[in-house]
Amino acid sequence: MKTVLEIAQAVQTGTLTARQAVEESLKVIAEKNPQINAFVEVWDKEALARADELDARRSRGEKLGPLAGVPVGIKDNILYKGHKATCCSKMLENYVAPYNSTVVEKLLAADAVIIGRTNMDEFAMGSSNQTSVYGPVHNPVDVTRVPGGSSGGSAAAVAAGMVPAALGTDTGGSVRQPASFCGIVGIKPGYGRISRYGIVAFSSGADQVGVLTSDVSGAAKMLEVLCGRDNNDSTSLEDKVPAFSKEFTADIKGLKVGMPKGFLDNLDEEIKTKILAAADKLKSLGAKLVEVEVPRAKYSAPCYYIITSAEASSNLARFDGIRYGYSDKTATNLEDYYQLSRAPFGPEVKKRIIIGATALKAENYAECYLQALKVRELIRQDFAKAFEKVDVILTPTSPTTAFTLGAHEDNPLAVYLADLYTCQGNIGGLAGISVPCGKDKLGLPVGLQFYGPILQEEKILNAAYHFEKAL
Amino acid sequence: MLLEKDNIARCTRSTKIRLRADEQQKYDKELQELFHWVDELSKVDTSAVPESSLAYAAYLRPDEPIMNEALADTLVGAFNEQEGHCAKVKKVL
Repeated sequence: MKTVLEIAQAVQTGTLTARQAVEESLKVIAEKNPQINAFVEVWDKEALARADELDARRSRGEKLGPLAGVPVGIKDNILYKGHKATCCSKMLENYVAPYNSTVVEKLLAADAVIIGRTNMDEFAMGSSNQTSVYGPVHNPVDVTRVPGGSSGGSAAAVAAGMVPAALGTDTGGSVRQPASFCGIVGIKPGYGRISRYGIVAFSSGADQVGVLTSDVSGAAKMLEVLCGRDNNDSTSLEDKVPAFSKEFTADIKGLKVGMPKGFLDNLDEEIKTKILAAADKLKSLGAKLVEVEVPRAKYSAPCYYIITSAEASSNLARFDGIRYGYSDKTATNLEDYYQLSRAPFGPEVKKRIIIGATALKAENYAECYLQALKVRELIRQDFAKAFEKVDVILTPTSPTTAFTLGAHEDNPLAVYLADLYTCQGNIGGLAGISVPCGKDKLGLPVGLQFYGPILQEEKILNAAYHFEKAL
Repeated sequence: MLLEKDNIARCTRSTKIRLRADEQQKYDKELQELFHWVDELSKVDTSAVPESSLAYAAYLRPDEPIMNEALADTLVGAFNEQEGHCAKVKKVL
């Protein structure tokens, strides 16, 4: 599969038609999706019709947009008018989006072709894509293993060559961790960069739309299209969006790369070796490695689970059978009606709602939720202080490579700890990118993550771009 | 933070989620473990963080109500029956 930029340029110049690009995508999906389960629905006829429309516009002499003819998958929690958006949950199995999310509007305005909706953990809660009502996604690198999550379908679709780009959402690492497990690029911009209008909310203080692509240049181009202020999302930022794909510098000489003290302690030896080799590679490219201290980042994971679950318990209260979701037909009183209408939630979603409600309960609030908010503030201060000394911070994306399907079923804490390095970005409101940095002895991809200061995505894109070129 | 079972049970009732006996048993164990893990946060000295500093101060902006009549029409129009700008919803009980 060609990259985002290759397809867009070829379609713009007429060396490839949008129809050819879409047909190639559909061919790979037909061949591989039955085994991978990355797409839960493919809008093939509509995609071909749109491709023909783009080709007709070009043949009339019109200049096509920056994503001309690029086939894109969208995660199943992103609204596309007239199409199902189920969050891979039985709760929303018949929900059809009544309007377009802003990210879909932007993709369409840039002349991308939306191919279908991708599999995900139910309501984006999970790190392995095993909680979907459509069944698990299989990692294209090794189909006995998980692709990561919650944007596992989007990552697997790109890794399998079904599409060159897909949208995901990232609340605790749900774009970057599956990108790492599948050996592709995944970026979550800083909080507020991309509008969340039309995204089904999980945790409003942490959710961000992110992109998964086969290379860094494609991620930069996608981000350029998607970022920006939106009046429909009051948390989106006014700040100017750089032309990310034109911000790559000639080299990274003098780039200050932060290596957080203690970040590699107790890490799997193979991953540690890959990360240290990556740091050496950056050094050989002219970067300066600087030790930084982010002492309270180690508390990010428990902090993340309390805050996001509390927000989820509030956001998911709307799925009561009246405002949204499954509506029970057998209840004879209101209490039963609510309880039976909320029964279709899967186990992980139920658990997080209960965790959140428990953390918010008056008797637990100060000790649990308020304490987590205060620790989050201290973690942010730690990162802000570290970024006074460095341009980017380097970490592993995940403490492990892709694990086997079904592993950790009896140990949910082990799955939660898979977010250890990524949820720091959501807690800190930082931009983060995962880029492949080699494979372990089983041939499974290892991901390297760069964090950048708030509103400076170009720094991490640039570092990742040069690392990708040098690898 | 060590939570007693009845504390979790009371919170569960408030979520309007009904658990089967086997789910209840599983969650009791998992939630006890989770809240025990989360108790790590109590080790962090947060005495220097006032509650008033917890908002995203850098992102605060004046509240500017935005009216989008077209969107309101679209949303109301998605219902089978409407009356003026109100949508008629189904009776649930």
